[in-house]
Amino acid sequence: MSHQTREEIERIVLTHLRRTVMQLEGQPIDTSLSMKDLGANSLDIVEVVSGSMRTLRIRIPRAELEHLTDVAGLVDLLHAKALEKS
Amino acid sequence: MTAPITLSVQHGVARVAMRDVAGRNMLGEAFVDALIDALGRAASDPEARVVVLEGLPDVFCAGAPPELLEALRAGRTAPADLTLPRILLDLPLPIISAMAGHAVGGGLCLGLCADMVLMARESRYGANFMDLGFTPGMGATALLEHALSPAVAHELLYTGELRRGDAFAGASGVNHVVPRAEVVPRAVDVALRIASKPRACVELLKRSLSLPRRRRYEAALTLETLMHTITFRRAPGAGADHAY
Repeated sequence: MSHQTREEIERIVLTHLRRTVMQLEGQPIDTSLSMKDLGANSLDIVEVVSGSMRTLRIRIPRAELEHLTDVAGLVDLLHAKALEKS
Repeated sequence: MTAPITLSVQHGVARVAMRDVAGRNMLGEAFVDALIDALGRAASDPEARVVVLEGLPDVFCAGAPPELLEALRAGRTAPADLTLPRILLDLPLPIISAMAGHAVGGGLCLGLCADMVLMARESRYGANFMDLGFTPGMGATALLEHALSPAVAHELLYTGELRRGDAFAGASGVNHVVPRAEVVPRAVDVALRIASKPRACVELLKRSLSLPRRRRYEAALTLETLMHTITFRRAPGAGADHAY
């Protein structure tokens, strides 16, 4: 799972997002929006983040996730952690 | 602050509504006391035949508040002291849980203590005790198995997954899974059917039908308390001894 590109990580996050928020299935997703704006509720967000971390075999402490405001920010953080790991 | 719990009795249906927006209906001491009080008043209302337990539209109950978890961890509260589930299981009238919003941990246990359970397709339900470093409590091991089948219950208890309501459609112990806005109206409709029956008969049937669950709950609580005792056992100063 090493050396994943940002694009690959974004694809993983969007896959989890579409699987979690039903109305996003098959829809384009603007990653500058927050998951809340995209229709996710608070527990949907927990599932998207934990699912993405599982796929990537990455663990990020809750405190580091709190300041994220949009999907792109989550992808960036996951990407940075993936680079650290590899 | 408005009362966190409201009670209204109409046409034989006692509606107990948990309305603590700021606390997301978390099971803090004052909230639980108010809930127990409302359930008691509902059951002792001579007009009432059935109780509908409602939460907020987006949150049914978010479970135990951090300070309660801390008290458990520190050994200041014994899990066996948390008797809210027993109050519901022992209530003389049947209870219908209208879980329109999310229900997590102790919140899911609370909902599953009811005699009939309604969920929302788009809300999430899970038992995240193990994510918080605890073995399950509040009778979760028995209550989830009863409502969701042992296989599903075990998966949720092990993984802490927050599962969407629509995934529970057709589960034997969940009565109805409907869109969020329809949960309370449907629960009230079920309640109205029950409300036309003689109170004495309703009480006898509740006592009888709830017996297996009451037995399983007591057995589960015994084991869960044992698990908690082992999980949290710390001789004074032991934390420092193990610090590295």
